[in-house]
Amino acid sequence: MKVNNSVLVIGGGIAGMQASLDLASRGFRVYLVERNPSIGGRMVQLDKTFPTMDCSICIVAPKMIECFRNPNITLLTYSEVQEVNGSVGNFTVKILKKPRFVIEERCTGCGMCAQHCPVEVHNEFDMDLGIRKAIYIPLPQAVPLKYTIDNENCVKCDLCQKVCGAEAVDFNQQPQTISLDVGAIVVATGFELFDARTRSEYGYGRFQNVLVSLEFERLLSASGPIGGHIVRLSDGRIPRRIAFIQCVGSRSLKGGVSFCSSACCMYATKESVLIREHEPECEVYIFYNDLKVFGKGFQDFVARAEDDWGVRYVRALPGEVVEDSKTGDLTLWYEDTTENTTRSIQADLVVLCPALIPRATSKDLASVLGLELDEYGFFKSKDAQFAPVDTNVPGVFICGYCQGPKDIPESVAQASAAAARAAEVIAQGNEGVH
Amino acid sequence: METEPRIVAFLCNWCSYAGADLAGTSRIRYAPNVRPIRVMCSGRVDPSFIVNAFEAGADGVLVTGCHPGDCHYVSGNLKAEKRMKSTARILDLLGLGSERLRLEWVSTSEGAKFAQVVTDFTEDLRRMEPNPLETEFNAKSPVNAEDLISKVIRKTNVQYCLECGKCSGSCPISKVNDAYSPRRTVERFLLGFGSKVLSGPDLWTCLTCFTCTERCPSDIRYPEFVRACRRIASDEVMEELCAHRGIPMALSRVMTNPSVRQERMGWLPEQAEISQKGELLYFVGCLPYFDVVFEDLNLELLKIPRSVVKILNRVGIKPVVLANEKCCGHDLSWTGDLENFEKLARMNVAEIKKAGATRVVTACPECYRTLKKDYPELLGNLDFEVLHVSEFLSELIDRGELRYDAKLPAKMVYQDACRLGRHMGIYEPPRKVIAHIPGVELVEMGRNRENSVCCGVSAWLSCNKYSKAVQIDRLIEAKATGADLLVTACPKCQIHWKCVTSEKLPVNPEDVKIEIRDLSVVVAEAMHLA
Amino acid sequence: MKRAEDNAPRIGVFVCHCGINIGGVVDVPQVVEYAKTLPNVVYAEDNLYTCSSEGISKIKEGIGRYNLDRIIVASCTPRTHEPLFRAACEEAGLNKYLFEMANIRDQCSWPHLHEPEKATEKAKDLVRMAVAKAGLLKPLVEPEIDVTPSTLVIGGGISGMTAALCLANQGFRVCIVEKESELGGRLKQLHKLYPTLVNASKGLDQISGAVKANRNIDVLTSTLIKQVKGFIGNFEVDVQRGNGETAKFEVGTIIVATGTDVLEPVGMYGYGEHSNVLTQLQLETLLRDGKLEMPQRVVMVQCVGSREEKGRTYCSRVCCMTALKNAMLIKESHPRTDVHLLFRDLQTYGGHYEDYRRMAQDMGVKFIKYSLEKPPQVFPKEDGRLDVSVYHALLGEEINLETDLLVLSTPLIQCEDAKKLSHMLKIPIGPDGFFLEAHVKLRPIDFATDGIYVCGTAHSPKDTAESVSQALGVASRAAIPLAMKHMRTEAITAMVDENLCSGCGTCVKICPYSAIAKDEKGVARVTEVLCKGCGTCGASCPEKAITMRHFTDDQVIAQALAAVRRELA
Repeated sequence: MKVNNSVLVIGGGIAGMQASLDLASRGFRVYLVERNPSIGGRMVQLDKTFPTMDCSICIVAPKMIECFRNPNITLLTYSEVQEVNGSVGNFTVKILKKPRFVIEERCTGCGMCAQHCPVEVHNEFDMDLGIRKAIYIPLPQAVPLKYTIDNENCVKCDLCQKVCGAEAVDFNQQPQTISLDVGAIVVATGFELFDARTRSEYGYGRFQNVLVSLEFERLLSASGPIGGHIVRLSDGRIPRRIAFIQCVGSRSLKGGVSFCSSACCMYATKESVLIREHEPECEVYIFYNDLKVFGKGFQDFVARAEDDWGVRYVRALPGEVVEDSKTGDLTLWYEDTTENTTRSIQADLVVLCPALIPRATSKDLASVLGLELDEYGFFKSKDAQFAPVDTNVPGVFICGYCQGPKDIPESVAQASAAAARAAEVIAQGNEGVH
Repeated sequence: METEPRIVAFLCNWCSYAGADLAGTSRIRYAPNVRPIRVMCSGRVDPSFIVNAFEAGADGVLVTGCHPGDCHYVSGNLKAEKRMKSTARILDLLGLGSERLRLEWVSTSEGAKFAQVVTDFTEDLRRMEPNPLETEFNAKSPVNAEDLISKVIRKTNVQYCLECGKCSGSCPISKVNDAYSPRRTVERFLLGFGSKVLSGPDLWTCLTCFTCTERCPSDIRYPEFVRACRRIASDEVMEELCAHRGIPMALSRVMTNPSVRQERMGWLPEQAEISQKGELLYFVGCLPYFDVVFEDLNLELLKIPRSVVKILNRVGIKPVVLANEKCCGHDLSWTGDLENFEKLARMNVAEIKKAGATRVVTACPECYRTLKKDYPELLGNLDFEVLHVSEFLSELIDRGELRYDAKLPAKMVYQDACRLGRHMGIYEPPRKVIAHIPGVELVEMGRNRENSVCCGVSAWLSCNKYSKAVQIDRLIEAKATGADLLVTACPKCQIHWKCVTSEKLPVNPEDVKIEIRDLSVVVAEAMHLA
Repeated sequence: MKRAEDNAPRIGVFVCHCGINIGGVVDVPQVVEYAKTLPNVVYAEDNLYTCSSEGISKIKEGIGRYNLDRIIVASCTPRTHEPLFRAACEEAGLNKYLFEMANIRDQCSWPHLHEPEKATEKAKDLVRMAVAKAGLLKPLVEPEIDVTPSTLVIGGGISGMTAALCLANQGFRVCIVEKESELGGRLKQLHKLYPTLVNASKGLDQISGAVKANRNIDVLTSTLIKQVKGFIGNFEVDVQRGNGETAKFEVGTIIVATGTDVLEPVGMYGYGEHSNVLTQLQLETLLRDGKLEMPQRVVMVQCVGSREEKGRTYCSRVCCMTALKNAMLIKESHPRTDVHLLFRDLQTYGGHYEDYRRMAQDMGVKFIKYSLEKPPQVFPKEDGRLDVSVYHALLGEEINLETDLLVLSTPLIQCEDAKKLSHMLKIPIGPDGFFLEAHVKLRPIDFATDGIYVCGTAHSPKDTAESVSQALGVASRAAIPLAMKHMRTEAITAMVDENLCSGCGTCVKICPYSAIAKDEKGVARVTEVLCKGCGTCGASCPEKAITMRHFTDDQVIAQALAAVRRELA
């Protein structure tokens, strides 16, 4: 039986891109579906990555561009998987391409439309800390560099259409259903953040100077809403002390998830080093429980953070954060085991590291694909030990964080693993033709 | 009585004792029923001595001192007089009868008077029933400590401790008391060093406020753990740490005797309408006793049950008020006295059932939690629903049956009591009730609802400088909201706060001076029922 | 578009702001203006992000519009971005070797963050150097080679077998070389695998059975690698069999799956002195063979010989879970035995491992945290038991545990013969002793040397599931060249000017890849496909007859002069 040697990759983050590139490099046709207007996933939201302190966008942008340029990869951005039928070797997939109201083939990415658009909304890419227009690209290095109109906020003033030199604005654009035949499917849908507001003792959502890590990351980013300067949003002051609180909602039997998100100890260390780089006068504290230093280079990174950069690690999770409503300054209460006392410490800014959890939309995707979810909501591996990227549906593979907590190198390696399995089942179906 | 009455007498050293001696040297005869105890001054006689004596089974207690003006210590006898008055009231409330307590002035030369007093007292007591009480102190059934500890470790999830420290970082006492750390206590039990903890103060320091439980990622219910371990913890230490001489607990214990017939109705306002049987029962709690014990704080605690009954009457309900209501047993259940707690529980449930009540309303969060949660855990499903008065009032508001006739233009701030809030999850009904009052602006303290801070003392334990620090801190927070009135749904919060503000304060009194009133009282005012 | 080479080059310079990474320190417009003054520069502009699709378009546009035939991008590091910009040139019809980069970020704006003026001067110098070289660049051609459609897998453990099977199932031929007499690697010594507690042998039997049955896989056990020559697509492998025989074969790609050793903590905590001090691996074997006598108490110590202040600073990742698993197995079979786990930070990461810890806590395993500064101490007792004294970091007390059995969790360490393999394959070893990948994030399982990949614990400590993921990953990577069947190799190779060559043979001797030989005319000839482009021959030749394409003597000297002498501009 002839099997189809195309592969559908769901999710355009680093894992999805790596799987796509591996498969495309050896001649498979790849359809990369991404629900956001641009691929890039979480990595493009980060400033630097641990433990090497590489500039994140710098190392991921080439992969994004490669996905764009590679003739074997078809990018379907601003699209979602609606229906999947068939079985391994011959899946029929229906993709819903949401209307951008911009004709992709004509848009040059010049940005005139956004310049003239009168509507300003919070930018989801910047975790609502920055502004974008109703017609927008989520980030300057967006791939594809095509504008999208956010229909909910658009006031239909038509200014964009008037100024567009390429006549690319089309308010009559309809959602499109695209039907694809593929031999295998790779799921790489990543994660979202636990809602830290439910840990009310930390005041997130009530206190202006309590942020979650991804928000802080956007503030730290050179391309972020404040250009990478470290200031408090409440009063624009440069903080003199910043405190990180780990495990917010992780390792919890109630009020959170029971697993460890695996990356937070390290990314907190990374953000701390960045703070110390930018503002050497600013003290940084990381309040942790068990420091997860199990990866390659992690322990050395922590040692450098402590010895070279003066980041202070305190083994205690604060009980609560209290705000001085007049100044916005925060007080954390924690038990200091070296002095055997419960004490308070002032901080200008508190960064919470919330659990990284499976996306809420995983349930829908699981039912579309017929996949089982494990007890935490991650897509379930067929065999936790020996078949980690396989699932209960032959021909459908999983990789990256949506399979379980992991960092970037592990996601990249696992993405190649999913690509290998996809190639394997297609080859086996075609009796060894590769 | 058939048996001879037993009298315990407290004689002051300078006058009465000498007077008693004189009776002896003069060979004046008097009834042999008295057992004298020498004290330096009648002012030394603590009400708890008297209560304990009665608990042990004394039929009468005699206190004698110098005549007023003659007290060797200036005015100790006057203090005794005042104390005896309130102790007498308590004895009346308990139904033991204030006649069992006698205060007499006997001077050094009044040997004959002494003999007469004893003889008369003995004669009067012979005409009364014998004291039904005969409590055996500390009669706990033996328990295998190791077994209990390992069972409760599992039951309360203590074995999952991550040592993260959120508990110690949340505990209001930990913040002010370096020596107290829930995290370390848990670790000690896990490693098998619990016996050290059992013989120390730590288990009695916990406020059981549930703040740590609310935040613990491993869902460890530390206060429940503490509560269970108190069963086997050192009683001597507890007694040292228990405020008010353990009188409240003693009263609860006294009530376990079925022969005790309390005076439970005296507080009712004149026009109050109540019934003996009915669907809705108002469970009053120990306010009548607290009204006496804390009379110096001028709290007007009886306004609370009076307000509740008036409100109920206004909305057309004639609540059942039990003539033989016993203490709900909250303090006993949280200090390890499970035998007596069970006795009280069974008695109360029987009375409620006899009254035919299907709904029980209480204005005390401790009674609320105990009746709603602890009684069914002990005795199985109850046939009645338990509501806090705020829940009940909230229902009325929803049905449009609660009318506020008065405007109370004021900024009010609400304290979430531990037993109502974190223990039982009731946060919104009291707020709804308050906010509904015309003219009221309800403001919030920064730490509210599940983050509310305990009033600093629980079950009368460990009232010390640390609890004071917690209380002052909280009052400062309340005052800083700019509110005119701090509304509480728990009489204990009110008592503890009033107590700390009536002392010499380590802070500027203006920072903590805020009027405190109970929710029911405020509602009654708003209904022109005050 | 492409001009004849003896006409003056037309250089285009693109200076990147990289957001504020460069632009926030270096005065980019100043650099652009300066570039315009340099010889042969006919066009210069600045970009916000040259690597964005917008920037790439500008380069391609510039090539077309201004007839540029040499391109310079002054931005970040060529190590990540050279291929991208080269590809852009190619797409615009320009030979990709007519491209040069000036690193004004990683080596300029970043390290000189606090000295913007000096950084700007340096950036100008770097651009001047690039222009100097660019003027001398010549177009180069990448030779195309055939790829041998087979893979060598070094190591027949779970990683090696997984990779081999995946490749074989895709129709590629695979040869597994295993130094021991049987396949299986470390899993052969293990009892049960966490978190599912499946028997290690079960999974192992399944996969080794499949490997042995697969017609596309040749298994050579008791075999060592003697020598590897060649390059991606064309590796020549010499092996020595156990019986002394040698064999030779060719492969297109190589996968390193050599696993690790386990540290024997001689001299630590009484190991080697007392028979009741074991490693976790030894305990594992005892448990598997049912040979553990019921101890009253077992104490396990984590981080023995790992996470040190100096020396083995790394965390070995798998020890906490292994200890938990073994602790639970002991409690299961001997519920009365008291098990204490002395740890520093419990590495229960990932999806299921926290629940695993809770199971251990449910079973009554006791946890004591100790700190690096105050490690546990072991004292032998007269009755053969041991006294373990540990300072409890939380309680602040010294706790004494009398124990029958002391189990030390030691790290996975690189194999003894790794250094030999490293030399043989020219694959580097990192600071922690494990093989060093090409790029931590972008190419975590590739080596910098094309065509060679790494997976499993040879890369870094990891458990079975993680090894399997990586092994499948390398299968994908290794399959790419095999699937493409042909490859273009690097054009940066040595070349000989026969007229200048005196036939002295210095370069022949000095080439580490044996890529140069004397031909029939007695002059040096380079086998370009073997040449890796290191250039050491060029530095040794007394006649300057041999030089490196793209790094010719002229080009390098031009850069050096331009670095120093501003007036050359």
